[in-house]
Amino acid sequence: MASHFSGVLQLTDLDDFITPSQECVKPVKVVKKQGKSVAKIQIEDDGSYVQVNQDGGKQKLERAKITLNDCLACSGCITSAESVLITQQSHEELLKVLQNNKTKETEQKVVVVSVSPQSRASLAAHYKLSSSEAGRRLTSFLKGLGVHHVFDTSFSRTFSLLESQREFLERFSRKEQDSKALPMLTSACPGWICYAEKTHGEYILPYISTTRSPQQMMGSLVKGYFAEQQGLSPQQIYHVAVMPCFDKKLEASRSDFYLEEAETREVDCVITSGEVQKMMEEQNVCLSDVEPAALDTMFSSVCEDEFLSHSGSGSGGYLHHVFTNAAKQLFGEEVKELTYKTLRNKDFQEVRLEKDGAVLLCFASTYGFRNIQNLVQKLKRGKSPYHFVEVMACPSGCLNGGGQIKPSSNQNQKDFLHQVEELYKAERPLLPENDTKVAELYKTWLHTLGEERAKELLHTKYHTVEKMTNGLTIKW
Amino acid sequence: LRLTIHYYISSLLYFSSPSSEMVKFPLKTCFLPSDVIRSIRDPEKPNTLEELEVVTEKCVELQELSEDECLIIIRFSPTVPHCSLATLIGLCIQVKLQRCLPFKHKVSVCFIFCPLIHHLFLSPVNKQINDKERIAAAMENPNLREIVEQCVAEPDD
Amino acid sequence: MKEALAEVQRISAHPDSRCWFVSWSPNGALLASCGGDKAIRIWGREGDLWVCKTVLQDGHQRTVRKVAWSPCGNYLASASFDATTCIWKKKNDDFESLTVLEGHENEVKCVAWAPSGNLLATCSRDKSVWVWEVDEDEEYECVTVLNSHTQDVKHVAWHPTKELLASASYDNNICIYKEDDDDWECQATLQGHTSTVWSLCFDAAGERMASCSDDRTVKIWKEYPSDSGQGVFLVDSDLSWKCVCTLSGYHGRTVYDVAWCQLTGALATASGDDAVRVFKEDVTASPDEPVFSLVAQVTRAHNQDVNCVSWNPKEAGLLASCSDNGEIAIWRFKEED
Repeated sequence: MASHFSGVLQLTDLDDFITPSQECVKPVKVVKKQGKSVAKIQIEDDGSYVQVNQDGGKQKLERAKITLNDCLACSGCITSAESVLITQQSHEELLKVLQNNKTKETEQKVVVVSVSPQSRASLAAHYKLSSSEAGRRLTSFLKGLGVHHVFDTSFSRTFSLLESQREFLERFSRKEQDSKALPMLTSACPGWICYAEKTHGEYILPYISTTRSPQQMMGSLVKGYFAEQQGLSPQQIYHVAVMPCFDKKLEASRSDFYLEEAETREVDCVITSGEVQKMMEEQNVCLSDVEPAALDTMFSSVCEDEFLSHSGSGSGGYLHHVFTNAAKQLFGEEVKELTYKTLRNKDFQEVRLEKDGAVLLCFASTYGFRNIQNLVQKLKRGKSPYHFVEVMACPSGCLNGGGQIKPSSNQNQKDFLHQVEELYKAERPLLPENDTKVAELYKTWLHTLGEERAKELLHTKYHTVEKMTNGLTIKW
Repeated sequence: LRLTIHYYISSLLYFSSPSSEMVKFPLKTCFLPSDVIRSIRDPEKPNTLEELEVVTEKCVELQELSEDECLIIIRFSPTVPHCSLATLIGLCIQVKLQRCLPFKHKVSVCFIFCPLIHHLFLSPVNKQINDKERIAAAMENPNLREIVEQCVAEPDD
Repeated sequence: MKEALAEVQRISAHPDSRCWFVSWSPNGALLASCGGDKAIRIWGREGDLWVCKTVLQDGHQRTVRKVAWSPCGNYLASASFDATTCIWKKKNDDFESLTVLEGHENEVKCVAWAPSGNLLATCSRDKSVWVWEVDEDEEYECVTVLNSHTQDVKHVAWHPTKELLASASYDNNICIYKEDDDDWECQATLQGHTSTVWSLCFDAAGERMASCSDDRTVKIWKEYPSDSGQGVFLVDSDLSWKCVCTLSGYHGRTVYDVAWCQLTGALATASGDDAVRVFKEDVTASPDEPVFSLVAQVTRAHNQDVNCVSWNPKEAGLLASCSDNGEIAIWRFKEED
């Protein structure tokens, strides 16, 4: 099976593409007990496994199940997680929930879908629409299926950008005392996070921004604020995110985003732009024929019926926002336009703030594994000149994510990507600090929860995955 | 359920005599593979392959294919059919044979398909345990080496 | 056979260990060897004999699998099972460790310099091929990570004049890479071998490539422009390589290495059947159907597997081989006048 994950995740996999049922067993060393007899295991004709005790008694063995969390916590391989994911997070799962809502009285769920602006741009390019138009029609399509609310993750990204900006200023202020305060590395890309946790652990993790990604910010909003407003328990909401990337499924499955008390995930299911397209094809629906619907304005960045975006890169514009804000806050400089200097390749760019020949701020964006590699090596050698780096696992960033719709056979890959980028950029940008709805939520919701709780809802933690040292599990 | 391993020891049973002439020894007179194999321990369990009835004396057979080529057949029944440790057991067998044979030799290992064993699973195992570079690298991994050493060590008593 | 391989010298180079690889310096004056003892040894000629000039010992924690000289002869790169690649700089008669390239997940199997000396390629069991660029300050940066193979990558080799890279893998395939626009891309995947491809090399002109495999054959591949319609194994590329000759029946076990003499065109092989063999091309045969015949062989060149063969780049016919028993042997290939 070909893997859908980003190249970074495929590289951390030391093994062949192995499905959990066959290879991923966690062998346990048994201590020899005197006099204890050995049981045999037989396969029956139906393929089931049976343990035969010495007295001849038989016992059917249960098939071991591996959860995604087992996979995430194990440095043995990563692609095994894929087949687990496909069963746990797919558009079929969403359809199952919607079907259940229609046919059963019990276990009714309020279904919320949060769509990323990158996915809208991808659908727009495929169906030859504007990004906003694609959003309005997608809303209509989803509601037709029985989805209750359709939100936009540009809205939750405003929180991510504001929190990133605050975190940067805080890190900048302690850069003299703490050698790991800077550079601050962005954390919105789950492929990069997974790679950092599995291969560079304690060395790199302190540099990574604790700010939640837009997807998980939306998780907090939907299962926290929204649930409360609607008088629902978090479990009564089924929250789906539509993302440009398969790795986002891993992110949603992290234990950090599991609500222990409510026994539910903040994002229950992630489906990719490509899977949305597949879903429409299965229903014989063409997005360009769907009647547009009015937008849900509760958690959406919209101005009338047009979506609003953020300035800067198609990967969220973290560098752009943090740079302009830091220039203003730290040095009183109003930066109208950023000058990106392309370094080794188009996926490695640098932006500087200079005054009287001195470099005040030095930011970079590094996309793709080759550039991540050079960044990590520079950090290890103490040769990184950067204060902030926007890191993404995919070459060309999120608009080129592995979950985006593939160009049709007569389309050139690069031209198609260019179209997606143009459609994405066509949306009018909104300054995060000018979003009054977000400001209102900070004031009314987060403020009343207290600083500590607010931090939990807006930030997250990273964990080093220990290298496997058990010889039984090492692949050679 | 029987998984069979064939050891082809081909053409190459030579070693240097004091006069540095190449001397060929009839294979049958100098070594019994069953003695070598059966004391290997199971990587997961404290028992030897013989104790687990994975390998018994009866399971080891020696066939001389030609003057200098020989085939050792070992019928091997792993405890779990799709045994994920097959490559590790293969590694142990390779290492043990290399250490215990009293002469320079070349070994190829071949797991023979059994109807209940997945084809797709076994052929990669065969390839891996016959790649000397992979074996050399595996034996330089301290964690892997520790396990293999435990498995191939001669029993204490 | 009128041609013959005459033994010049036999050296116990890496005692009690394997000797994995030997490589001549570009001017042919030095031979570097490496092995399971984690050491690199540099051999130079004194009178009629080759003697050890220096030992590079503390660079690696595990087996040194391969070594490569930079085209200028002033740098040596070593690939190790410890997942790193070491760059050594020549200082008078000694070498000092300049930098260590990290990034591969596990064993680095091979390292090779591009003809310009500005690019370095490495490959690993982690299935990837990396290209590194060297700047004026002797800093190395990763230019690309290529994931075209599905298994362990055993060998990388550069085209003698162009920036074209070839890799050989445990997945039985050969991949050819070229820089395209902003990144490197796999331009062609050559299928034909039925087991691990252990090594490959280009001929002097770079028009052909020889590969050797665990399937006990050597294959000769020829480059064709894509519009000639000859490329059978073409995978979306603008040039293609086609297998024009397969040498089978000569090798009793795995063929671990193949070397194409840039001076004479002779093709040498190293095999797990302990033999060193030399093949020569029939000049009268059609270039589209070349014929190679065995012209010399030493069946017990070493008393264990032969891992590598290497032609001296300046002295025609001088061949070095090395073996699992830790030996290096130097041979002279004599052709009929």
